[in-house]
Amino acid sequence: MTQADKLLGRWLNTNHETRGIAECTVARDGDVINVSITGVGEDGPIRWPTVRATPLGNLEEEAGQRTGALLATFELGFMRAETHMRVNKGVFVIVLFATFLDDSGRANYLNREFFYQP
Amino acid sequence: MTKFAQICDLVETEPIRARDIDRGALIGNWINSNPDTSSIAQVKVFEADGKLQLQAFAVGPDGLIDWGTTTADVFAAGPASRVGAGFAATFDLGFADVRLQAMIMKGLLVLAQFHLIKDDSGRTSYFMREYYAKTHELFNQ
Repeated sequence: MTQADKLLGRWLNTNHETRGIAECTVARDGDVINVSITGVGEDGPIRWPTVRATPLGNLEEEAGQRTGALLATFELGFMRAETHMRVNKGVFVIVLFATFLDDSGRANYLNREFFYQP
Repeated sequence: MTKFAQICDLVETEPIRARDIDRGALIGNWINSNPDTSSIAQVKVFEADGKLQLQAFAVGPDGLIDWGTTTADVFAAGPASRVGAGFAATFDLGFADVRLQAMIMKGLLVLAQFHLIKDDSGRTSYFMREYYAKTHELFNQ
């Protein structure tokens, strides 16, 4: 099992009232790792386009952990979401850096959410 | 109509330009909390020409290695926020690109480092996450 394999599977947000990412699925297709994200919408889930992730090994981590990370960027047209994902003590963490590419005036922002495996 | 991919992005706000975001919490001299680190020991964050700049110093065999300066993108705490909460930047070291994603948590700068090896050395790209404290003179006054 590689470090990235520990990230595979379906992960649900620990916060049932999130207004961000509801769930994330990490899947292996041969040597490729794909990431799918579902956002919370007004009238139901919003499925982001599946993207190919860059898996990275971890050299050091607190408490001697050595879980890999994934780097994945979602190009949504009006917004670019650069994310990294890792597992910390069994919790899947997504850190998102959102850059708005439209003229909505919204601030680019970052967010971090936590996920568990059902 | 405002486009969004998650409902937290559905906000109405007066236009917020990059320079409107308060960078005060980000600016300073950040020192790695781990004195035994083998990676980035120190990051200087400052403003120049209205842009956020980073200068990183990494641990080398004979002292610190100055990576030089690069421009960082500033990120707020939310799409309607004017408070800087982190930054992202890339250092092109020739043999590797190092992508940095930083966020402030409880006064610490949490720095996710993605070392993307570009040369033919056979080394694998890797990830690190380290913590940095801002130096200050609070107890010397």
